[in-house]
Amino acid sequence: MKKKIISALLCAAMATSLLAGCGSSSAGSSSTTTSAATEAAASTETAAKAGESAGSADTDSSSGSYAGQKIALVGKSAGNAFFEIAAATFVSTVESEGGTVDIVYPEEATADAQIKVLDNLISQDYDAICLSANDTNALQAKLEEAMDAGIAVSSFDSAPNADSRQIFVNQAGTTAVAQALVDAVYDITGGEGQWAILSATSQASNQNAWIDAMKAIIAANDQYANLELVEVAYGDDEAQKSTDQTEALLQNYPDLKVICAPTTVGIAAAAKYLQDNSASCKLTGLGLPSEMEAYTGDGDDYSCPYFYLWDMEGLGTLSAYATMALVSGEITGALDETFTAGDLGEYTITAADDGGTEIVLGLPLEFTPENVSEYAKLY
Amino acid sequence: MAGKSGRTINNIPENPVRKMIFSWEGILFLLLIAINIFCSMYSEFYNISSLLRQMPVYLAEVFLMLGMAFILVMGEIDISVGSIVCLSATLACLSSNAGLPFPAVFLVSLLVGTACGIVNALILTNFQELPPMIVTLSTQIIFRGLAEIILGSGGSVSVSNTAGFRAIAGKVGQVPYILFLVLILAVIYAVVLGKSTFGRSVYAIGTNRTTAYYSGIPVQKIRFVIYTLMGTLCGVCAMFLISNSYGANTTTGENFEMDAIAMAVFGGIMSTGGRGNIAGGVISAIIIVCLRVGLGQRNVNAQVILLIIGLLLICTVGLPNLVKNMRQTRKVKKN
Repeated sequence: MKKKIISALLCAAMATSLLAGCGSSSAGSSSTTTSAATEAAASTETAAKAGESAGSADTDSSSGSYAGQKIALVGKSAGNAFFEIAAATFVSTVESEGGTVDIVYPEEATADAQIKVLDNLISQDYDAICLSANDTNALQAKLEEAMDAGIAVSSFDSAPNADSRQIFVNQAGTTAVAQALVDAVYDITGGEGQWAILSATSQASNQNAWIDAMKAIIAANDQYANLELVEVAYGDDEAQKSTDQTEALLQNYPDLKVICAPTTVGIAAAAKYLQDNSASCKLTGLGLPSEMEAYTGDGDDYSCPYFYLWDMEGLGTLSAYATMALVSGEITGALDETFTAGDLGEYTITAADDGGTEIVLGLPLEFTPENVSEYAKLY
Repeated sequence: MAGKSGRTINNIPENPVRKMIFSWEGILFLLLIAINIFCSMYSEFYNISSLLRQMPVYLAEVFLMLGMAFILVMGEIDISVGSIVCLSATLACLSSNAGLPFPAVFLVSLLVGTACGIVNALILTNFQELPPMIVTLSTQIIFRGLAEIILGSGGSVSVSNTAGFRAIAGKVGQVPYILFLVLILAVIYAVVLGKSTFGRSVYAIGTNRTTAYYSGIPVQKIRFVIYTLMGTLCGVCAMFLISNSYGANTTTGENFEMDAIAMAVFGGIMSTGGRGNIAGGVISAIIIVCLRVGLGQRNVNAQVILLIIGLLLICTVGLPNLVKNMRQTRKVKKN
């Protein structure tokens, strides 16, 4: 008998534990209309706050248009220095326009952890979510839910698929990167001679996109006819393997004039090897200023005359303006819309490779012996 | 009633710890109310609709807690469940992409889970001297390894036809289907564990396996069934996980075994076996969900939330022992 009573109690406990969730929220439990009313009240409250913060600037209509926006910025995981540079300018841009930003990192760099973060953000009535996605497709369900709830969804650094975002801010278009690299090779070789590419892995999609674009540019222009691409080597983004591949390239092609490494690991490894061995072969590509500072310079003592990477600070600023423009309704993420991104000027929304839309920041940033030490402090 | 012998096993002679475990659900229930009050004060967005909306992501793990409860009551452990979830999810995604209709995909997931469960069960019942911790540690590595091999270099797969997964992620009003399923399964599991001969045998095995064997309980048969069912539950969990992320990757289900064990132990199910019940596990699972949702809504660092759950856990395990020790010393003093 005692057992029966206890089990009945337990069942009751289980049932009431559910109700307890209801009971604790006095506003939500009574009816949906009241919760809607509370939401409305909350939104007028935020509007009032916005008015307050805009305050004296009310007369100045141009700066007031983005004021009071509440934006969430979601990273891939905590501790990514590269992302944090963009995040810093993102925050300062939004704050200078009178909005607020909360930066949220998932507990680990997985899509599942990001889903939990998005769930939390959707509950919090943010005006916009801007994220760097850990997975292309996995976030679709949550991001669609966010957009259905009226939250603007933008992205930079790493895009979720076309259905789960309104806009992607691309650090640099594939062709722009390829064109810059080809021009660098052309310039360093003096317009003719052998050159090679040191890539990451043979499956890396961004690497392959750049390499294909470079080949296409060279094939399409007679100007580059005398450049001879001898080999695409793969260093698998490992320092040792990249060094070995560099050594092999030099042995196999004694007349090699330039190695182009569009990967940060590869370019650093190759730069060290070429400089240590005082090779006549020069280097360019995509690299981190902090890693390349010691190898960047004019003359024979240095292996790399100049190299490129995107402007992460500009990426943060542009993403901030794009996100704020989405919230204000200035843009919707549709093709050919234009908006003004503060000091960066006017941008047009273009078609992205994945079928969605994107805003391309512009040309990659060139790091020369003059500016490399300054940027090395940043990243 | 078959129960005379069972009842004596179930009601171990009176002792203070046992009494405390009996009221453990009561304590948990009060804690649940307290945490809900705390969360609704802490986060302005915490209410029943936001809780119900955010719940599904966490509820998938509660399926695992149900199976884990049986295994823990039996005094054993299964740490391969996260990997089984990963393998089931991977194969379900692939079969969905291969054009199988959704019910068949669901079946694939259940079958893969069950098959993995049977592998565990076969090893554990055929080589009884092997510790379950080590056996399931090896299968944990093997199952995830298999998933990684199947997924190949990319390490992830996404389903192209999401219709079926959208359907199971649906809701009645604001209440997600998964909550109903969790509660129905919880009631079934609670009745089986608490009321049936099978359940009493599980307690008996957990209390003393040798004695259970000599009193005619088919110990190995029961272990086989429980480990197999654990695998099936992993298949269910995998399907609901996919309904959140429309895909699987090599990290799917990572650490789920620990989350499931944490929920069960926090619910008063002792890993030493023979103690606890499903109700405690379910209440503790809901407490953990409420806590994660409430703190998450204020963007509290995820690590801090894990830390709080860890502290709750160590208190759960430590408190009954502490009380027992105190009472014993008091007795000694009296004497």
